[in-house]
Amino acid sequence: MRLGILASVALGCLLTVGHAFAQDKYPSKPIRLIVSFAVGGPTDIVARVMGAKMSELLGQQVVVDNRPGAGGNLGADVVAKSAPDGYTLLMATVSTHAINPGLYKKMPYDPVKDFEPVGQVGITPAILAVHKSLPVKDAKELAALIKANPGKYSYGSSGMGSILHLCGESFKMMTGGLDLEHVPYRGSGPMMNDLSAGQIPMAFDGTPTMLPQIQAGTIRALATGTATRARALPDLPTMQEQGFKGFECYTWNAIFAPAKTPKPIVDQLNAAMTTALNDKAVFGRLQDVGIDPTPGATPAQLADFVKAELAKWAPIIKASGAEID
Amino acid sequence: MFELISNLALGFSVAWTLNNLTFCLIGALLGTLIGVLPGIGPLATVAMLLPITFSLPADGALIMLAGIYYGAQYGGSTTSILLNVPGESSSVVTALDGHAMARQGRAGAALAIAAIGSFFAGCVATVGIAVVGPPLAGIAQQFGAAEYFSLMLFGLIGAVVLASGSVIKAVAMIVLGLLLGLVGQDVTSGAGRFTFGIPELSDGIGFVAVAMGLFGLAEIMTNLERARSVPEGQETVMPVHGLMPTKADLKTSRWPILRGTVIGSFLGILPGGGAVLASFSSYTLEKRIAKDPTRFGNGAIEGVAGPEAANNAAAQASFIPLLTLGIPSNPVMALMIGAMTIQGITPGPQVMVKQPALFWGMIASMWIGNLMLVIINLPLVGIWVQLLKVPYRFLFPAIIIFCAIGIYSLNNSPVDVLFTALFGVLGYLFVKLGFEPAPLLLGFILGPMMEENLRRALQISRGNLMTFVERPISLGLLIATAVLLAIVILPSVRKGREEAFQE
Repeated sequence: MRLGILASVALGCLLTVGHAFAQDKYPSKPIRLIVSFAVGGPTDIVARVMGAKMSELLGQQVVVDNRPGAGGNLGADVVAKSAPDGYTLLMATVSTHAINPGLYKKMPYDPVKDFEPVGQVGITPAILAVHKSLPVKDAKELAALIKANPGKYSYGSSGMGSILHLCGESFKMMTGGLDLEHVPYRGSGPMMNDLSAGQIPMAFDGTPTMLPQIQAGTIRALATGTATRARALPDLPTMQEQGFKGFECYTWNAIFAPAKTPKPIVDQLNAAMTTALNDKAVFGRLQDVGIDPTPGATPAQLADFVKAELAKWAPIIKASGAEID
Repeated sequence: MFELISNLALGFSVAWTLNNLTFCLIGALLGTLIGVLPGIGPLATVAMLLPITFSLPADGALIMLAGIYYGAQYGGSTTSILLNVPGESSSVVTALDGHAMARQGRAGAALAIAAIGSFFAGCVATVGIAVVGPPLAGIAQQFGAAEYFSLMLFGLIGAVVLASGSVIKAVAMIVLGLLLGLVGQDVTSGAGRFTFGIPELSDGIGFVAVAMGLFGLAEIMTNLERARSVPEGQETVMPVHGLMPTKADLKTSRWPILRGTVIGSFLGILPGGGAVLASFSSYTLEKRIAKDPTRFGNGAIEGVAGPEAANNAAAQASFIPLLTLGIPSNPVMALMIGAMTIQGITPGPQVMVKQPALFWGMIASMWIGNLMLVIINLPLVGIWVQLLKVPYRFLFPAIIIFCAIGIYSLNNSPVDVLFTALFGVLGYLFVKLGFEPAPLLLGFILGPMMEENLRRALQISRGNLMTFVERPISLGLLIATAVLLAIVILPSVRKGREEAFQE
């Protein structure tokens, strides 16, 4: 461990010395793109799709390295503590950079100070849906039904402190504190299983898991969580359209580098991301997994976005009482 | 009926193309290989191959990935029988009698009956998917938290019955398993339990680390110890008299294979348990109904035939919720959903309607794949048998390296490798002290699921305990559990049981 730190310090010195040469050559070796979630999950797919295109554009392999654990904190921490040379990047999520800082009692890194924003990939709207047996057609009617039957309804989520949990808590807060029990699952797959079977009456989730069930008619979509309608469900009104002012609930993916990564490298990476996202095939693949890509987002915009997200979720996490050791 | 035939005809027309036959063969072979190698499971392999499938056609990619999964069930039994190192967790029970048969020089017969049992179960389960897939998936959907809790309870009581030797020791191991399963973040409250502030422990101890350590490494250690007292060569080479099982073997295995197929087909549909639970259940059943249970653990062919049929049937049946509902019943199926999404297919009930060629093509390919496995595996048994002649000093380091690679590749976490080593030492101690590790593993798997479902059921019912008896499926499972418990406790049965486990 200590050897590793020494080695990275030595490497850092070398890189600073050879700064002028290294810069025009970047990238001169493969780049590690760390995914702090398991292989095959949505963030992993995003990283692999982006990594493949960016490898082409940068002329060096972008290797996806999965470091799952501790709700994404393990992998993000690896990047936070890496040399700021542009060879270790993070595919960040709403969890690693917006929710976890307010949720975990002990955070190994600071989402703002320890990272250099590179660029945003896109956002995935959360959809509010109910089991087909519920006699409601929109979010307003759902709120009224829950209010009229206290102690009867619950909502599912992919886990304590997950974005889907916080979506539900926002919904509760905006409707004046409904009597609605939170039922956490281990991930959104088992939750959707119970929702489509009617074991739980309602839940928020992203479009990729929701769409097949919506199309099959086992669940009914009531509203989109973003300010604008989702590309995959253009006919579905948003929560804001239905009178839930300021309701915004979505997940997102963005690439970060360790803090103090030189600006030319960040700009080069951001340019590669923009070109990749404007590629038709990449854009299409990301849409297939429910993402609305946001090409052209600058590092500065991403920095502001993260601060806004942190400010948005902190009070909701606090009010919900969610906390992880 | 006519519809079924025309559907299957469509499926075979898709699967019977040179491309798809090749993908099927690659998948089946690769699956067998990784099944044989302890530590490298279908999950890691499918995960590693996901990027490759980006560039393949949808049907070919899914046919290959499916082949890896059921191929691994075939291969996993081979190392169980020959080396007492289960290649897959679902082959753990196969090692009990399979390896005993190998020690008696009947490795060939054990391997052949495992392959035949798997093939039969694979064929039946494939037809099963085609015929009863949609309605059966409906039953699985009625399983809510209350039903799962009752099912887990049933499984844990079953673990006591399954254990050989002392009941007290079995209960102790189950409780230890439960405690180990508690490690990590509590799903309902987010509190860290027994994590000691180590972030790697926040997601709990990995199942593979526990299983591989307790069953794989511990066995290698005990073997090493024995090898020292035996001259080189004599320990490893076990004479193999003929690959084909005798007529009597086939006759004895007939019903266990059939029963295993039924158990596996049903359990495979349920999320969670799958192939592992199926092989455990089948073994318990065979031991229960056997005229002479003392033979179990000492090379009873039923103890190979039943579980092998069950785990393969379960592997195949776990495609039912995936293909009909788009819901994964295990992590490998979750990766399959990932593969489908990458291909632009929306997994779910409408795959059958919107993509009939893909749906029925995959089903047909499973039957073809199973046939290929028997054809390529029975001759290859000879090669696997050769593995026995490799001296332990070459074989053991190789196995440990593969274990380490496999464990590391799951989460890219060195901590997992350390845990495997730790559980290896623990498993060695258990062997020395006469404790069975199987109940520990079951407690480890079922305990957390049981707790989670108990709390979830009570959350949904807002604390009403009646939810467990008001729901018919849950009530039925609870009654079955009570009957099972009564059987174990009844004095006459207990006496018989103790006699049965005399070794």
